[in-house]
Amino acid sequence: MDQKEQIVADLSTLLGPKNVLTDPTALSVYECDAAPSFKAMPDIVVFADTAEQVSDIVKLANRYGVPFIARGGGTGLSGGMLSVQGGIIIALNRMDRILEIDLENERAVIEPGVVNLLLTQAVQNKGYHYAPDPSSQKACTIGGNIAENSGGPHTLKYGVTSDHVLELEVVLPDGEIVELGGSVEDTIGYDLRGVMIGSEGTFGIVTKAVVRLTRNPQAYQTALAVFETMDDASNAVSTIIGEGIIPAALEMMDSLVIRALEEAFHFGFPLDAEAILIVELDGIEAGMQNQTAQILEIFKQNNARDVSYAKNETERQELWKARKSAFGSFGRLAPNYITQDGVVPRTTLPKVLRRISEISEKYQIPIANVFHAGDGNIHPIVLFNERDADQCERVEHVNKEILTVCAEVGGTITGEHGIGVEKMDYMPLIFSPADLQIMATVKSIFNPTGLCNPGKIFPTAESYAKLGLEHDAVRPV
Amino acid sequence: MENSRALHAELKQIVGNSGVLPEAESASYIIDGCPPKAVVLPTSVQEIQDILQFAAKQDLSVIPAGAGTKLGIGNLSKKVDIVLSTIHLNSVIEYEPADLTVTVEAGIRLAALQKELAKHRQFLALNPPYAERCTIGGIVATNTSSAFRLRHGTARNQVLGMRVVHADGTVVKSGGKVVKNVAGYDLNKLYIGAFGTLGIITEVALKLSPIPTRQAIVTTEFQDIQNAVNTGLNIVSSQTLPMFVNLFINFDPRHPETPGQGKFMLVAGFGGDPETVAWQSAQSRGIMEQNGGKGVTTIEDEPQQHIQETIQEFSANNGNTERVVVKVNLKRTDIAEFSEHIIGASWTHNVQMMALLGNGVLYLTIPVVSETDFQALSEVLTALRQSALEVQGNLIIERAPPELKRYIDVWGPVGKTLHLMKQVKTKFDADGLLNPGRFIASI
Repeated sequence: MDQKEQIVADLSTLLGPKNVLTDPTALSVYECDAAPSFKAMPDIVVFADTAEQVSDIVKLANRYGVPFIARGGGTGLSGGMLSVQGGIIIALNRMDRILEIDLENERAVIEPGVVNLLLTQAVQNKGYHYAPDPSSQKACTIGGNIAENSGGPHTLKYGVTSDHVLELEVVLPDGEIVELGGSVEDTIGYDLRGVMIGSEGTFGIVTKAVVRLTRNPQAYQTALAVFETMDDASNAVSTIIGEGIIPAALEMMDSLVIRALEEAFHFGFPLDAEAILIVELDGIEAGMQNQTAQILEIFKQNNARDVSYAKNETERQELWKARKSAFGSFGRLAPNYITQDGVVPRTTLPKVLRRISEISEKYQIPIANVFHAGDGNIHPIVLFNERDADQCERVEHVNKEILTVCAEVGGTITGEHGIGVEKMDYMPLIFSPADLQIMATVKSIFNPTGLCNPGKIFPTAESYAKLGLEHDAVRPV
Repeated sequence: MENSRALHAELKQIVGNSGVLPEAESASYIIDGCPPKAVVLPTSVQEIQDILQFAAKQDLSVIPAGAGTKLGIGNLSKKVDIVLSTIHLNSVIEYEPADLTVTVEAGIRLAALQKELAKHRQFLALNPPYAERCTIGGIVATNTSSAFRLRHGTARNQVLGMRVVHADGTVVKSGGKVVKNVAGYDLNKLYIGAFGTLGIITEVALKLSPIPTRQAIVTTEFQDIQNAVNTGLNIVSSQTLPMFVNLFINFDPRHPETPGQGKFMLVAGFGGDPETVAWQSAQSRGIMEQNGGKGVTTIEDEPQQHIQETIQEFSANNGNTERVVVKVNLKRTDIAEFSEHIIGASWTHNVQMMALLGNGVLYLTIPVVSETDFQALSEVLTALRQSALEVQGNLIIERAPPELKRYIDVWGPVGKTLHLMKQVKTKFDADGLLNPGRFIASI
């Protein structure tokens, strides 16, 4: 019996044969996430149901010296769950119970496989919601959100996942089960909870979380404005923030997106418009009229040509529909696309968007923009055909140049998607070898053998070479 | 004395004459009654690196500090050698108001920064005590709580990035300066609240907030603690968005000098544009009156500002009497029952309490007098800590004379993750150069 057979036999004993997948067809579902240009076939996929099972699987993987990787909804956009060195994928979708809802303390205790939107739906009729709302919230799991420290349109006002997680139960990479953080806001000692969140599954596997619930606002005001130029729209964004208005969300779409949306869904947007802004205010009803009027004035000053308002919840959902349908319309533009995720200081948006358009021009690769403008979190959608080798090569240059621009203006290369395998080559754009070294050292505390989700985040010697830099791969000390 | 003079001379080689604080001016940097051998005020990262290298060679400890307002937090140390204050690294590095972010050197005083930001109707929503003196680096290193953290949280919610000098002199950047960033591990979280044990923070990038155009507070009094807490929690979970809902026991923030013996006073603060504030104040008044609150009053303008400042400074040692300051962290639903341990207990004469009801954070201040029996007090606090631990809370002694610290660990138990925390410390500062012995488990 070779090693794999032995492992499969052991896992079957542990979990029952039904919960261990080895058939290539079944495994192929797990060879990628929602960024399908990266693929890697796992050797085995298992379904866990309890923290103890996860711990046993992890201990077993350690015994055999094989990699193991946690997976939630598979909606990641950076290849964070790819089994790049083979091994066992631990699927957590079945750990999807909401264990406790405690509205008095505004929190819920959940298992990692709970789908983001389902938690909100579970508390909606009580007037609460779970604030982090990534675009994939219908399918992504909160365990995955914790691994990636996910954001979403409403993080502009409400913060990212890390701001909404109090406590984690984690299976450490050696199989030990620990709790990080606590059920009170301030705990004693180093904030291991904080450093676990966003560690992209490389510090351990979250098996339970205490998350905050947020009271629904009393009122919303949602508006959509059409602009003739990207500069006008970007300036409107900076002005709104600079005037001291913090909208709940502030989203922008460019002409390519507008055209794709029109072709696919016929919203009635003018095809010659360069940009659309969606602004949502929320909070207390009294006074909201004034803020709305102020925003209207800012739109006017920045030459907005059409402004529409949602007069009720149905109309509000209608306005959001355009934004939420955007990703569904890109199929009309090109067979494949890569979604970039840079963040830039809000005031540099006009400049950065111009640079992106120049890059698109230079390489003859169309780039659509739909993004969280209020955060400066841009999502250039790089459109191409993966069967065209020449295009693929140009896309590589496009990616590199876009991320270089983000770094140059003082921004970052990912705001919510994570580094994963997708952006590890670009880490040297924003972090020095010393910065990365200390990260590698922290990784070695949690994950000394490196078996927990290997081959992610850290640039290799080739990554440095690609950027024209000389440095060896960063290794823990 | 002779040794100290020689040490000062050697340090002056690194930081120049003005970089070593004369002993006569070092009072703010005395730690638990123990004056450090030297207080250095470097003006560059290079000087910090040189000091660290020198200290490592001489086997001297380095205690990172800002203005020294929080140096009292920690266990007794056997090794108080060099206090390194970043107070001379105090410039605003980058401030673009329309980005609503700022990057500063760690030694800038909060008050100086707020003044600069106010010119653009913005502020940093971290309002710890010692507002006039304390530095950004100090607030971040100690993750000091603000009395008004209900809406904006703590440094862990507002720091975007930092630059830190490690014990071995390595300069490391974590995070960045944009408001959303998931590139690499979130090491900011480790440095925040590490009390300088992992490195010396030299730069911090922060999120900012717009200053509300109008503010108001609503106050009321209760006879019954349960009712007072419940009323406050009703306001917290109402449709209003309070900046704070704080409950005071034996303290009246309108008259801080007069001991408010036996009073339970509820104070809710609101900010925003005038309509929003008016509506929220009215809602809050309604809830207070419905629950039988006495003397419900709305206060605005300058008196409001004055009361807010008093509340902000509640846990500071602001008078002539020395006080023990204790912070208790609980779930908000455990506050009322926990408060029963304090009210009416024999040791609580002149004890004052502020509870941040929405956050479950309690501050107790206990006056220290000549006849204070520290052993007895430590037993009381140990029992109180036990009550907090039983409901998954904790109790930290934030300020105490060394006589009390001899009897009690100021932090309390850490739990099962201590081995990970110890490894963090070892990997960052193997020789225990930085602030040794004072943090959890004598790290």
